[in-house]
Order: sequence, then C-alpha cells, then structure tokens
Amino acid sequence: MGKLALSLTINGESHDVLVEPHRTLLDVLRTDLGLTGTKENCLDAECGVCTLLLDGMAVNACIVLAVQCRDRTVVTIEGLAVGAELHPLQRAFIDAGAVQCGYCIPGMILAARAYLDENPTPSEAEVREALAGNLCRCTGYQKIVDAVMRAAGAPAAAR
Amino acid sequence: MTATRIVGRSLPRMDAPGKVTGTAIYAADFALPGMLHGRVLRSRDPHGRLVQIDASRAARVRGVRAVLTAADVADVRYGGSVKDEEVFARDRVRFAGQPLAAVAATSPEAAAEALAAIEVAVEPLPPIVDVTDALAAGAPLVHEGWASYAALPILHRDGNVCNRARIVVGDVERGFEEADRIFEHRFVTRSVHQGYTEPRAAVAQWDSAGQVTVWSNTQLPFEIQSTLSEILQVPVSKVRVVVPGVGGGFGGKLRVGVEHFAALLARKTGRAVKVMTTSEEELTAAYARQPAIVELKTGVTTDGRLLAREGRLWFDTGAFAGSGPGVASVATLMLAGPYRIPHLLLEGYAVYTNKTNFGSFRAPSGPQANFAVESQMDIIADALHLDPLDFRLRNIVREGEEGPTGQVLTAVGLEECLRKVADAIGWKDRRPAPGRGKGIACGWWTTTGGSSGVYVKINPDGTVALNTGAAEIGTAALTGAAQVLAEDLGVELADINVVSADTLSTPFDFGAQGSRTAFAVGNACRAAVADLKRQVIALGARQLGVDESALELRDGAVVAPAEGKRATLAELARISQASGGGLIAHGTFVAPPTPYDAKRVEGHVYPVFHSPSFHAHAVDLSVDADTGEVTIHRYVVAQDVGFAMNPTYIEGQIEGGVAQGLGQALSEEIVYDAGRVLNANLTDYKMPTAVDVPRIESILVQHPSLVGPFGAKGVGEPPNIEPPAAVANAVASATGVRITSLPITAEKVALALRERER
Repeated sequence: MGKLALSLTINGESHDVLVEPHRTLLDVLRTDLGLTGTKENCLDAECGVCTLLLDGMAVNACIVLAVQCRDRTVVTIEGLAVGAELHPLQRAFIDAGAVQCGYCIPGMILAARAYLDENPTPSEAEVREALAGNLCRCTGYQKIVDAVMRAAGAPAAAR
Repeated sequence: MTATRIVGRSLPRMDAPGKVTGTAIYAADFALPGMLHGRVLRSRDPHGRLVQIDASRAARVRGVRAVLTAADVADVRYGGSVKDEEVFARDRVRFAGQPLAAVAATSPEAAAEALAAIEVAVEPLPPIVDVTDALAAGAPLVHEGWASYAALPILHRDGNVCNRARIVVGDVERGFEEADRIFEHRFVTRSVHQGYTEPRAAVAQWDSAGQVTVWSNTQLPFEIQSTLSEILQVPVSKVRVVVPGVGGGFGGKLRVGVEHFAALLARKTGRAVKVMTTSEEELTAAYARQPAIVELKTGVTTDGRLLAREGRLWFDTGAFAGSGPGVASVATLMLAGPYRIPHLLLEGYAVYTNKTNFGSFRAPSGPQANFAVESQMDIIADALHLDPLDFRLRNIVREGEEGPTGQVLTAVGLEECLRKVADAIGWKDRRPAPGRGKGIACGWWTTTGGSSGVYVKINPDGTVALNTGAAEIGTAALTGAAQVLAEDLGVELADINVVSADTLSTPFDFGAQGSRTAFAVGNACRAAVADLKRQVIALGARQLGVDESALELRDGAVVAPAEGKRATLAELARISQASGGGLIAHGTFVAPPTPYDAKRVEGHVYPVFHSPSFHAHAVDLSVDADTGEVTIHRYVVAQDVGFAMNPTYIEGQIEGGVAQGLGQALSEEIVYDAGRVLNANLTDYKMPTAVDVPRIESILVQHPSLVGPFGAKGVGEPPNIEPPAAVANAVASATGVRITSLPITAEKVALALRERER
C-alpha cells in the first residue's frame, strides 16, 4: 500500500508524517508521534476516550483518517495546558476530585472544552447531555459534571 | 482521637496532574522500539471437538513473525484454585471466545490478515448453555478429566460442580418448624462486564539472560508473575511484571488475560510484542460477573423475627473454575445477609458451562446474593404488614454479635446507616405519588486480608519515597496510603513520591483487590514509620548529643523541646547516606486472623469477613406506566467506612460503584444465545452514560475498625452491592410489581405491568 506525505498541525506544531491512507488520526498520534494522551479503546466511536478537537470540534479520533486532517487544526490533551499553567478545565477536574483511573479524562476534558466554547453557561443537564458520548466507569460522572460546571464559572477569558 | 493533619482530609490525589495532562502512561500506551502486534484467534464455537488447526497459510502472510497454537506451547494446566485452564484449546473447545492460536506481526493489519488465514476445523457438540443444563441428570461433563486436575483440597468438586461451599448453623429444619411463615423465592441475575475503559494490555520482552519483562495493566502483578512462571515453565525469578498504569480494573484485571500471549509471542520472535484486547474480546472472553440463580427459603415469626434460612446460589463459572470456587464461598456469607438468623443452611455452587470463565467483579457475589436477600426481605415485610425498614432493624446484626460462621462482629455501623439513609430519602412517605416509590437495601462486606510490604526511604532533601508492590487502579488507594505515611512521619503529602508495582524491585503485595489497598498498604506504612522513627531518633540523639528519650519526631524533624535542639529529616538522611547507607525501612502488614467456628463451614475458601463494612442504600424513583421506564429522582448511600481517609475519593467510590450497580440493575446484560454473545460491542452492551446516572448522595458513617489505619475499612467494593436490590424494591413500591430477575429493563417492567392488568 502506498504512503502519503502529510503535514499535520497538532497543538500548534506542524508534524510531517508518511502514512498509509487507511490509518486513523488516533493511530498516527499514538504510534508515530508518541502523543498517547489521546486514549484508545473501542475503535468504533462508542466510548469516547479518544475525543480530541479537530478545528475546535470534538471528534472521536478513532474514526477520523489522518489524511482527513490535512490543513486542519488538531488539539489533543497535551496541547491544553500553557506551559506549567493548567487549563481551567484541567484544574477543575483535579479540584472536583473528578479523576479516578483517568483513562477517560482526556476525552472528557476535550469534549467539555468543545461544549463550553459553544455554550459557556450551561446547565448541569446540558453538560450531562454534552458528555453522553464519553463513557466513564469509575466516577458515576458526578464529579466530572461538577468539574465542568466549576470550570464554566471561571472567567470567560480563561477558556 | 487527636486531631490529624493529613488523614481525613480531601486532598487531591497525587497522580491527578499526569492524568489530566495526558502524560500519565497506561499499559495500553506502553510501547517499545520495533514492537510487534500480537492478536489472538478465538473459537467461534461454544463447544466442540477441535479436529484440526492449520496455521501454515497464516505464517506466510507478509509481516507475520510468529504463529502459535497448542502444539507450540508447554502442555500445562494452570489456574488459582483448580488447575483446569490451558493457553490454547488442545483437543476440545469449551467456549465461544476460547483462544485457539496467537500471531505476532509487524502491523495490526498483517496480524488481522494472519488470523483470518488460520484454518480451524471443529466438530460441534451441543453446548451446555447454563447451570440448569450443566446440572441436569446425565449432562455431559465440561471437563471429562475434572477429577485429575490439581485443585485446592478443601474444595467440594463433583463433575460440573467445581466447588460447593456450605455454611451450616443450628438446625434449619427445626427453625422452619418453629417459624410462623415460610417464604420461598427464586431470583435470576445475568452476566455484566466490569467495563473498564482501558482494554487489557500487555507488552512483553525477553532479555539475553532469559528473563521476560511484562508491562501489564494487571491488578495483581505478583499473581501474574507466578502464573506466567507456570505457563512459560521458567522460574518465578525470570519473570518481571511491571504495572505502568491501570485504566480501571474492578476485578476484571486480576487473572492472566493477555500477558501470557505477549510473553509467548515475544519468546518465539525475539522481539517485544504487545497484545491488547478488542471490545468484542472483552465481552466474549473476559472475566465478567457470573450469572446466578438464587433460591431462598426463609422462616419468620409473625412479629418479624428471622428464624431460619435455607439458601442456594448457583454461579455459572463458565468453562473454567477461575475465581468461581472462591466467589461461591463468599456468596454464602452474603446469603446470610447482615442479619441474625439462628438456623442456616447456605450453599454456593460454582458450575461449569460452555461460556467464558466468569470472574471477580467488584464485590464478587455481592450484588447477586444481595438482590435475592434484600428483595425477599421486602416481600416478607409486605406479607407481614411490616415496614421494610422496621423489619430490617428488628433483625440486623449488632455490636458484639456473631456473623454466620461465628466471627464476633465489631464496629457495626449498620443501624446508623439504615436510619440515616431512611431519613435522607424521606422514608415516611414511601409512595409519594402514583407510579413513584422508594426502596431500601442494606448489606455487609469484607476488607480482604493478605499481606503488604512497603519500603519507605527518606531522601536527602527530606522528601520521602514510598515503594509498594500494590498497583494504583484508579481508586486513589495509594494516595490514601501516602496520607497515612505523611501523617505518621510528620511530612506533607506533597513530600511523598510513590513507586509501585514492579515485581523485581517493589516488596510483595497481595494486590489491588478486595477493598484492601489503602487499608493494608496504609498499615504497612505505619509499620515502616515506626521503624524509621527508631532510626532517626537514634541518629538524632547521637547527632544532637541528647538522650533518645528526649527526642520526638514532629513536622519533618526530630526535636528535643527541652534542650531546644532540632535535626531535620533531610539533615539526618544526608548524615545517614554518608555514614549508614541511608534511612530506609521495610514496613509490613498482614491482617490478623479473624476467629470463626470451622465446624460451620465446608468447601469454604473465605469463611469470614475481615474488618467488615456495613451499608444501606435508598432510592426514590418513578416508573412510567406505559413504557416501564425507570427514572431515578434521588439515590442516597450511607456507608460505614470506619474512618474517612479522604472523603472526596470515598464519595468517588460510592458514586462510581452505584453507577455501575445501576447498570446491572437496569440495563446491562451480556446476552447469550446458545452459548454465543449477541451484543459484543459498547453500543448494544448498555453501560450508563452521564445522562443515565442520577446525582448520588453519600453519607459517610464512621465506626472505626480495630485493625485498619486510623480505623479505616475497605470502601471500594461495597457501593456496587445494593443498587439492584434497592431499585427492585423501589420499583415494587412504585408499581406493586416485583421483578425477580436482572436487569430490570423497561421492557420487563412494562410486560409485568400488562400481565397484572390481565
């Protein structure tokens, strides 16, 4: 199978990769670029652990082909903090006790980030709806929802 | 109790920053240069004679580096209590999902192509699809050679029964004779999956000295080490198991899952090999919760005293014994419930069928037995015109009374749990509106024993390294243990770094199972601090020229208050490094044995609940009269945690455990048809999402354990026990319809409502 040369913009940095056209963004991030913060599980867009931002939209990277990401902007969990300064959502997830095993957390945070961009002052029910595509088996979602509500209360400029 | 600085506070878990920034590495993330991709070929047939397996075409697929079948591995049977398992099926296939072959290739695509190229000929046999099938007269044996397998001598095995555990107390027949009323019911539960979001994953690599290192997300690195030693036929010292990070376990990552395939393929290829499960493999060939049938016969007086119970619980353990014999034992303690019943005959069976080897899921046996016991408690209360809460309060065990096997119960917080949860839910108004009702359920559970060791080292900057063999599986148990360490040593939590779960370098630990990690590792930390105190006080006395008796350890220093002298831990560590090899202590803990009456038990591998916890759940819900759909308005848990080491993460355990329990109660089921799973994906296997789980209210009750650190009891498993019973009782309260099987789907409720109308 032939390979394609691609330039991908991930977390503001440009990466040149050579990949077969069938390979997913998730696979390329994790295998070729060592960005394992985007997690792998069902590979069928059922669980949401691979959620990241593609042009600001939350998508499941397991069903996006790397070649579809040409000339587009990808943000992964590794790109959310500014230096040592955690993003308000990351801070809120720690402060609310929303992190247990943590495997769903990168996807949760990015799904929440995309939703708060769309609706900066959500109700709890709206947050639950927005996160319904992301499975978590540790927390019962409560402290995750609390964390997102807490972050939504942060100054808008910080988001 | 004197005021504490660190324990009892909701401090953030130590590993949170890595987890929210994506830098924490899990086994699924672990990779080595040049690593091959391993995949497993699994049987499509639930039962049959394996006539032939031809891998020659697969071996020629481009990129394939190894193909293994039973012919390529040592003919050993392994397993915990019964050695009945084999790496690959050799001449008989016993479940759909059983491994037949494994391949390693340079890409996942090549591995998949190779799997498809393996030719398998199976002569199908009729599958034994459930316990009823397996126990029928003249049923074929799942293991014809069962009697020849090595097994724990204590087990009572017979054909398709790989253990029958029994508790006998008093004379159950006499109890029934004395009873005014006798109630007999049957309950059925289905299999549910742990649902961890990180698949089981392992990377294996052999070195030139013949040692294999396996990076795995197991909960029990030391058990995996010994199992791999058996399978690979190498000394245990040649197997090193390292746990990089675990994305949830809930009991599903106790037993060997993919580690052996990775190790065998790595040995064959001389390369590092990674094996990770698919969702389909998880739902067809993992260690999900056992389906169960429970029969309860309970005798009571008209004024509501429990007199006698005969209870039997049959677990479908699947094609291998695995955790089954132990879980069947625990079930008998759960069938007694947290009640005083003078006459008991309780039996738990683990029964072979042609299904996956069901295993240990958070509070194994708990939800199945509790669903039956607590449903029947409500049925009896209704029949006797008693309030279900009053009926329970009349019969619950109390301080100093005996458990079913004669253990003396202490720190029994059950009455407080029941009263608090009832108050919180507004129990006096049990049926606030048509179609709306409240339910209550209570139970007890163990804090598993087993030993733990830690090394605690004081660094030259005064920070502290905690080296433990336990894995952090997400519960924050190691943060809890570190809080104990910081408290006792007089340092801050931020001063502690944790190194964990490497069988080569960390001390032994019985593992992250049975709600024991914070409890046992915390106590081992206390022992280590006691030793370190002796060391630093001896060193400090020499250094400061004062008597040892004048010194105390306080705020990260040894201090002689009268003399006004002080040496910090950092200074003492530096002095020790220059002169005495550094400050380090080996702390150990093993739960003291809990005395019981051995004459009451047979075939029992778990006769007592150590430092038992007690809990009550209450739920307020509505049932849609047309669709049968359940909507939960409120869910309240009161749990006796002994001492709340870190309230935030205890709430987290309660919230997560209830959510998981509500899945089993309402929506989750691995659906089997003639031995094959019909819903092996995460769309059709219905785990609760953020819109399905209600806000869960936690009340932490604290009756300190005599053994646990600062009085703590195990907290992780209990919240998973009561949700099915609480929901079933509330549905009955709301509708008058009693559902005796799980899950309580909308369809099932709607059909029951229609049935009643006819």
